[in-house]
Amino acid sequence: MQAPRYSLARKVGINMTPMIDVVFLLIIFFLVSSHLVRQETQIELPLPIAKSASEDKILDVPRVTLNVKSDGQMFLAGREINIERLEPHLRELREQKGDQLEVRVRGSRETPYNYVEPIMVACTKVGIWNVSFAVYSKERSQ
Amino acid sequence: MKRPSTYLRRDVAGASDQAMTPMIDVIFLLLVFFVCTASLQIIEQILPSQMSSALGNETADPDIPPPEQMDFDQVVIRIGWVDNLPSYRINNEPVGSLDLVRERLLALARVKVDVPLVLHPDPPVPLGFVISAYDEAKLAGFPKVSFAVNPTSRK
Repeated sequence: MQAPRYSLARKVGINMTPMIDVVFLLIIFFLVSSHLVRQETQIELPLPIAKSASEDKILDVPRVTLNVKSDGQMFLAGREINIERLEPHLRELREQKGDQLEVRVRGSRETPYNYVEPIMVACTKVGIWNVSFAVYSKERSQ
Repeated sequence: MKRPSTYLRRDVAGASDQAMTPMIDVIFLLLVFFVCTASLQIIEQILPSQMSSALGNETADPDIPPPEQMDFDQVVIRIGWVDNLPSYRINNEPVGSLDLVRERLLALARVKVDVPLVLHPDPPVPLGFVISAYDEAKLAGFPKVSFAVNPTSRK
């Protein structure tokens, strides 16, 4: 009796399907987790509008984001902080990250200037000269 | 007995269909994810503000002569807050609205663009109006725009 030959003619290879599944699952996981991490430090705020704003192209600069709500509540890296604790905290960060440290102020457009002014004073006192404001270039369409 | 000749071909075709299905599923899932996140989130931009070392002690001088005299060494924009509305003064001269501030700044920039410009908002002025004035100064072409701050300010 002759042995069947079709088994030899069959291609033997690695099944790629589970690998592709896992790779895409990992991609989704990292995308979602990075999105959540970003959301954690960026509170939903009605930012001021500025036409002369530019896109954030410098990515390798050490940066801290300071969210300021309209009632003066401040959040540094997602945690609430008051102005008394801000200056020593910024000093510590500057010592760690160097003089390239950027402080990004994400303030609501309704925040009175007297809540923003102490932040700038604290930055100048600890020697942080790179301060930027997060803005929208156009009015958000609801 | 002869095996049906279509068996092998059908098997291979079936396997390739099976391999493509989850990939297409995941690609569509990714597509939906990106479409959702892109439509929900407005792109945020930045307004850089390089502060000078003297900024901490800088205060606006109310006795600066008006710009008509052309001997000004800095432009000071005071922003007040009266009846829940902003009021502007450029070098101690009242300016009715932000549009007039823009016109005035463009006129000043034509005369002397490299002069430092200091924004001096009153404490209750909302940040939105401060940034608008800062924006107008930048758009007028003033390279050095700084904020006047009170070093003792603590809230």
